[in-house]
Amino acid sequence: MKLTVQGVMPDAVPNSDSQVVILQDESKAHTLPIWVGLAEGTAIRLAMEGVVPPRPLSHDLIRNLTEQLGLKISKVVVTDVKNNTYYASIYLNSKQSELTVDSRPSDAIALALRTSSPIYVTQDVLDRLAPENVDPWLKMLGSKEFGGTA
Amino acid sequence: MLTQMHVRGLMFDPYTNAYIIILRDDSNTEMLPIWVGKPEASAISFAMEGVTTPRPMTHDLMKTVLDTADAKVISVVVTDLKENTYYARVHLLYEDSEYSIDARPSDAIALALRSKTPVFVNDDVIRKHSNEEMDRWLENLKPEDFGKSDA
Repeated sequence: MKLTVQGVMPDAVPNSDSQVVILQDESKAHTLPIWVGLAEGTAIRLAMEGVVPPRPLSHDLIRNLTEQLGLKISKVVVTDVKNNTYYASIYLNSKQSELTVDSRPSDAIALALRTSSPIYVTQDVLDRLAPENVDPWLKMLGSKEFGGTA
Repeated sequence: MLTQMHVRGLMFDPYTNAYIIILRDDSNTEMLPIWVGKPEASAISFAMEGVTTPRPMTHDLMKTVLDTADAKVISVVVTDLKENTYYARVHLLYEDSEYSIDARPSDAIALALRSKTPVFVNDDVIRKHSNEEMDRWLENLKPEDFGKSDA
């Protein structure tokens, strides 16, 4: 299922450095919150806002490296969740073959946004989402503080 | 001319709330401090200490992408210093061609430590660094610092 990034917001837990990236499908029937670190959250937010920093940040460098070598990022997929840890894969096309690289979802999403590549999640991951983990974020998405982008 | 340098240490700078990577040459005659942010500093310290994290960090991913594509990092070079900003390039070998890609020194060094490739610094940078430092020192001088012997 194809998802898009709806927003990045600070974790609801006070004094937490974590950020939550909210992904939704087109019909908004499925929501996937993914907890990421502050640096990764910032990397995702900058890409969403189309900010071009004066110097390439780490994910800009990965994009530049792949572009210059003629590798094309075709998609990123959130593939699994184990013990609250999400797993993702980045799909790259070289001249000869399709390559897959294991990644944290945060890095995968930061790269997808910089390369305009689609983000997918497996049905299996969606099926295993507990509603109590999703509902609070759905409320926040609709709230004014979040600019009501939902 | 290029001088090979090694990461000798990482320090916290309480004045700028940033971290400083200390690069030194083999003979310990040249020293280059480079200010980096917190995530880049942890990326470098993990590599220095050989810490492996349960999930790949951003620079681990960078290396895996290159490894998977069979691209090899040959070296990284700190090439320039302009208005207190350092510039670096990552040199790569891929399908018999050489590539050189613009990077921040922090990313370049984090990648070099993971790929066990040498870090070079352009001699101009070392020279400019000492000049800029001299300029800063001169700027910070107050009138009362002069002619103290006459007072």
